[in-house]
Amino acid sequence: MTQLLSSKGVNISQRNFQQIIIRGDGKEQFNQLINSEISSLPPSNNLEVTINDKFIFAKNSFDQWSLIYLVEQNYKEILKFISNVNLKDEILASDYSYGQVYFEISGKNRNEFLNKLTHFDLRLKKFPAFSMAQTLIAKIDCSIYNLKDKYIVTCNRSFEDYFKERLQDTANI
Amino acid sequence: MSAADNKKSHYINAKEISFKFDGKKYLGYKGDTIASALLRNNVRLVARSFKYHRPRGLYTCGIEEPNGIVQILNEHNEPNTRATVKQIYEGIRVNSQNRWPSLNLDVGSINNLLSPMFSAGFYYKTFMGPKGFWKKIYEPVIRRTAGLGKPPKEFRSKSVHQNHNVDIVIVGGGLSGLIAARKLIDTEYDVLLLEQDSFLGGILKNSNKIKKINNIDVNKWIKETEKLLKASKNIKIFKNSLVTSYNFTNHLIALEDKCAGKEINKDKSELTLHKIRTTHTILANGHIERFISFRNNDLPGVMLASSFEKYIHRYGVVPETSPVIFTNNSTTATLLKSLIDLGHKPAAYVDARDKDKIGKKLLDYLKKSNIPFYINSEVEGCDGSKKIKTISIRKNKNKIIKVKSSMLCVSGGINPDIHLFTQSKGLVKWDDKLVTFKPDVPFQNTITLGSVSGNYNYEKTIDEIDQKLSFLKAKNIRFNLELNDSNNFNIQELWETKHEKKSNWSKSFIDLHNDVTTKDLKQAVKEGFDRIEHLKRFTTNSMGTDQGKISSINSLGIVSKILKKKISEVGTTTYRPPYAPLSFSAIAGRNTYEFYDPQRKTPIHYWHIENKAVFEDVGQWKRPWYFKKFETESMHLAVQRESAQTRKTAGILDGSTLGKIEVKGKDALEFMNLMYTNAFTKMKPMTSRYALMLGEDGMIKDDGIVCKFNDKHFIATTTSGGAPKVLADMEEYLQTEWPHLQVFVNSITEQFSTFNISGPKSREIVSKVFTDVDFSNENFPFMTFKVFDYKDTEVRIMRASFTGELGYEIYITPNHALELWKKIFHYGKAYDLVPYGTETMHLLRAEKGYVVIGQETDGTVTPIDLNFNWMIGKKKKDFIGKRSLTRSDTSREDRKQLVGIIPLDKSEFIEEGQHVVECERLPKPIKTPVEYLGHVSSSYHSPNLNHCIAMAMLKGGNKLMGRKLFVSSTYGNKNIPVEVVSPVFIDPENKRLVS
Repeated sequence: MTQLLSSKGVNISQRNFQQIIIRGDGKEQFNQLINSEISSLPPSNNLEVTINDKFIFAKNSFDQWSLIYLVEQNYKEILKFISNVNLKDEILASDYSYGQVYFEISGKNRNEFLNKLTHFDLRLKKFPAFSMAQTLIAKIDCSIYNLKDKYIVTCNRSFEDYFKERLQDTANI
Repeated sequence: MSAADNKKSHYINAKEISFKFDGKKYLGYKGDTIASALLRNNVRLVARSFKYHRPRGLYTCGIEEPNGIVQILNEHNEPNTRATVKQIYEGIRVNSQNRWPSLNLDVGSINNLLSPMFSAGFYYKTFMGPKGFWKKIYEPVIRRTAGLGKPPKEFRSKSVHQNHNVDIVIVGGGLSGLIAARKLIDTEYDVLLLEQDSFLGGILKNSNKIKKINNIDVNKWIKETEKLLKASKNIKIFKNSLVTSYNFTNHLIALEDKCAGKEINKDKSELTLHKIRTTHTILANGHIERFISFRNNDLPGVMLASSFEKYIHRYGVVPETSPVIFTNNSTTATLLKSLIDLGHKPAAYVDARDKDKIGKKLLDYLKKSNIPFYINSEVEGCDGSKKIKTISIRKNKNKIIKVKSSMLCVSGGINPDIHLFTQSKGLVKWDDKLVTFKPDVPFQNTITLGSVSGNYNYEKTIDEIDQKLSFLKAKNIRFNLELNDSNNFNIQELWETKHEKKSNWSKSFIDLHNDVTTKDLKQAVKEGFDRIEHLKRFTTNSMGTDQGKISSINSLGIVSKILKKKISEVGTTTYRPPYAPLSFSAIAGRNTYEFYDPQRKTPIHYWHIENKAVFEDVGQWKRPWYFKKFETESMHLAVQRESAQTRKTAGILDGSTLGKIEVKGKDALEFMNLMYTNAFTKMKPMTSRYALMLGEDGMIKDDGIVCKFNDKHFIATTTSGGAPKVLADMEEYLQTEWPHLQVFVNSITEQFSTFNISGPKSREIVSKVFTDVDFSNENFPFMTFKVFDYKDTEVRIMRASFTGELGYEIYITPNHALELWKKIFHYGKAYDLVPYGTETMHLLRAEKGYVVIGQETDGTVTPIDLNFNWMIGKKKKDFIGKRSLTRSDTSREDRKQLVGIIPLDKSEFIEEGQHVVECERLPKPIKTPVEYLGHVSSSYHSPNLNHCIAMAMLKGGNKLMGRKLFVSSTYGNKNIPVEVVSPVFIDPENKRLVS
């Protein structure tokens, strides 16, 4: 974890998570297969997020899930999981572990801060705790996960420098 | 007489501030605007008018100001700032505009002497000829003299954007806005209260019309209310925030001046552009007073009556202790009382109404106060040079008398400030009693409260708010008002007074900002511009930056009289956003300079920088364009060196930007067969194929290499810029056209860094890097790929080439990318491995005759045009664009087709984009069309062939092989003779590729 900034009620740090994107129909067989691999059922409601000590599991859309490991895994194990899941025709698991960057944003002014960079309605009544969204932040495609007292924001690794500069600029100005 | 302080105002005890206007030092109080401070110092002349350079003074006290527009020298030379809004601070330096050499002595005022010539439509009528004059004389001269201020110089203005999502926005923190806000305290609604001034209160602070609210002095009530609002959990207040736009749907833009009353901090943002999405909008933005046209109604000293009153109460300055008041309604009664309460005596009170309309109470007050008053009378005009000296009053519509005073306070009535309401597409209607337009039917969730809704009766405001907010779960709080005034509006229609002809230079203005006179309106109507929108454009009436806020209804009134129509029949012009000017920097926010466009970098980016890469933008990617071997090496030399070295030994390209899409599912094979022109059915697993994707129109949309793991699993590469579109198209087709196919697609562009190593020595190099892999031709033939373990990850290596040389594409996860790249260089050193950029990539591929999507193609090129017939799976039942390939137009033989061209004189260079023609010389001038055969799509100097090679799209190109043609040139009109050849310049037998 790298602390990026902490000022005016906003704390931002960069995290090194690993991630798998899973596509599937979300039906019984799909759920069982995932459950057998990670002992957890995929969330069933669209944009729902479940979380435990090891990972965040989110349903991104009607046929897409994100599995984000909060504790670093042996990468071989991740590849093995992907390989196992991909044995089934009706599922596509793709490794996103090092293609994404992750930012943890907390603090009482985090909504106001982020709303300098996105139009997204972050009010609790519109973006409840343990839900996620895909939206533009600082003009780039990001996923944002509401973990009640903090957000996890992810974007493509190629934007890392630009995104960090925008975060820093927003805090400074 | 002169200005005086309002001793009862708290301003008088505020901190003194020094500032400069036109280089002269003055003192004002903290909180003063430039205007109030200048008035305090008896400065009446503040500007020169736009066209005639007539002397102008302050006319209003707010955003509606048409005259007092100044340049702030110490704020990036910011021009066109309203002196009536901008607050002073210690050291602010302000200049007047549109004058030379000085405000007092302005050479441009010669325009006023010539003004009888400058009638409406002068420009349209005058600059018609002689031919050629417009471009060489008129336009340069007009451009030099046009405009008011001077543009800012070299600055990086800082503004930020702040998004809001709320339930209710209240525009205006005056009486109605504050009452509405108080009713919403601690309710379930998220509320934003936006106030354009630096304090709340509006009319409560602008006048003494309202004495008490709930038995509390208004100033105390405002303080109490602000405290309650700030303490609430659901209401946010933004002061100095002007709502400029009301868009669809319930989207408002407000601009906050974060440096109001203080010097700008160059490291912090000066402005915040609030972008607000709301469910309901409460417009409580009040009204704007309008003027009356009369002779010389633009002389410094003429001011709107309510503005005069605002200066007294808001800023504690009485601009003139003995002004003349001229009105056609009762709103001026409180101004009169304010002056008398402060011990001043107006020079005269002129009322156009009869005594019944004025009311006995006011008449008695005038008598009792011994004020000279004139009923059924009007101001005929005023005289003076740079300020008013005498005011001519037509008494009882007959006799003219003259009164000496330096100021004239005018009120022609008040208009609800309907700009935002009409921007929201709400409909307005004419009210005969109020003599103005007022809101009628809202188009969005808009509620109007108070004077903006046409309710000028403060006592009725309370009931109006209760009634209009009844659908909300607002608090049931009652408010009682105690008024200082009878609150009787009683307006009598009066747009212009009859004036005596004094001279050719006496004018009755309808638009002070753009110097439009009532005579111009009359002339325009006479010339046939009787539609208000036409008339507006012909005369430029209400087209200035003030948008005719104080005069647009007046012009409707005057035009309706000329046309003998009702005003409601004449209609209104359209109020367009923004409500008041805002700078481009405010609109741009932080999306400027380095943040203008997001930048994408590959994991090797910093290695490229260390190795002197010069970058080019490809989409949002920063890609090495070429690498300088030494500082002074030119691009041409670098590219020639990189190209030659790659063909001699080996070169490597960072191709991480290539799009990559993983496709998997039971029906993946069928899906790929549909998406691409190629046939994948017979393709062997673990092989790859160059593939084309078409649009429904049969035109090439993208290309890439498809790797087939098996019939259910593929990985496709795309062009760098095309990746998101290709992925989106795949998703769209899966969801809309072929929902029966069980296929999933994921973008894995970022998950794999890609290196393309090419050249005769590339096999030796990769064999040293990946010692466990057999790269022999037999075991690893062209267009096959393998996946194997590398450290704790997996690497996919494909034998493919975009250079025509033996080559490999290496795909690895980004966390190992840099380490592997360096390792390749470590082993490549012995072979003089060279890094190359996109320019060398283009040169090498052109030598081999490979096309680039977007360079050889432009959305009008089919695979057949590129001689890619071999890539079309003709036996396939269907693929996107298949049907279009058999249309008569797409199968024409004379379509533009890809060819190669080389100059006959090998020392000549062909430029990209040039036309290919049959004639040796272009006639000058070209009088008859020269047949255009096509254009040069790519052109490079080949270091390997030592002459220029080019690719071109030529009409019927396939049949032109060996023909001598000509290519136009930017150097003179002599064309370059060329020969049409095959586009494959190097290794047509593919010996290098499959070696």
